[in-house]
Amino acid sequence: MRNVSLLVAFFGTLVAGGCAPAMPPQDLVTARSAYDHASKGSAQALDPTDVHTAKEQLDVAEAAFSNDGDTQNTKDQAYLAVRKSELAEVHARTMQAKSAQDGVVNAMHADETAAVAKTSAALGQSKAQLASQSLALNDEKTARADAEKRAAQANADLAKLASVKQDARGTVITLSGSVLFASAKSDLLPSAQLKLNDVATALIKEDPLSKMVVEGHTDSQGGASYNQDLSQHRADSVRNYLVERGVAGDRISAQGFGSTRSIADNTSADGRANNRRVEIVVAPSAPAP
Amino acid sequence: MPPPTERLADAQSAERSARELGANDVPAAQLSLKLAEEQTAQAQKAVADGNNERADGLLLRAKADAELAIAEAREKGADVNGQRAVQAADAQKSTNAVQGAVK
Repeated sequence: MRNVSLLVAFFGTLVAGGCAPAMPPQDLVTARSAYDHASKGSAQALDPTDVHTAKEQLDVAEAAFSNDGDTQNTKDQAYLAVRKSELAEVHARTMQAKSAQDGVVNAMHADETAAVAKTSAALGQSKAQLASQSLALNDEKTARADAEKRAAQANADLAKLASVKQDARGTVITLSGSVLFASAKSDLLPSAQLKLNDVATALIKEDPLSKMVVEGHTDSQGGASYNQDLSQHRADSVRNYLVERGVAGDRISAQGFGSTRSIADNTSADGRANNRRVEIVVAPSAPAP
Repeated sequence: MPPPTERLADAQSAERSARELGANDVPAAQLSLKLAEEQTAQAQKAVADGNNERADGLLLRAKADAELAIAEAREKGADVNGQRAVQAADAQKSTNAVQGAVK
């Protein structure tokens, strides 16, 4: 009987003293699980402050359960703990999204900067090329202007010394026979040499690559054979003199035509004087390829 | 216990913020906001019934739900911005490729 009383007293003490662990409310179980998830996931690294807040709220709920048991307040506190853990996870995911977005934007800016740098470099190169081309063009213009100026000057120089005209053969410089030679002679007069010095200079200046022919012509007086020989000798004299004065020998040839190519009437003294002449025919050089 | 008017104002303020941030357009946020609104309504009924203590607990829950709705709406916003950034980056790459700046 005594033993039975003791047993009853023991169980009575157990129930009254609350020694048997009470079952936690579902809200608290959920809160523990939610915190466990948050604290072991990325939120712990990305948003430790909110995870800590969730832990504090879970501790409040646990304390409420420990002190008061499964009350409405315990459930409310546990509910808040669930929300705090969820909030930490949502904040962490938001941070991740923003971080990814920043990465994309930064990469985009880097790409853009690289593209701008590349375009800028290409532009600089184009500008440099353009400047270089412009310089080359200016040089070419200057060179052409110089050449034209030299040619014009040479023509002007020649025009002072002799008659200069253009025909199908090229530039024809006509020197009067009476200026160059004594009658029936083929030796150059000293005064003629001075003139030919200037002609040689002009020919060298004008177009150093052009070919030329010195043509000798007489009037129709005298025999044709004599006139032919005389015109050839006179042409040779002029050619040889020009070569002596620096005109390249392979540029210049000489040919006598006697009286076959009269340019004036042989019946008058003036006409015959005009026919007695030496012509230097300058063929233009072939254009550079 | 007096009526929890301050907690009611807090909860309603958080719900309003969630709505303004577009919580109703984001499924998760919409659910959290709905929970908040329901619990606020229950709290108001509890106050009317004279059960201020219950109302206080409900309003704590409502505010926590509304705050979660705000965070969820912002998370969606960050996702959308991220997607837009990716699209913008893709578009820029295409443009650069067409213009020959980046190959």
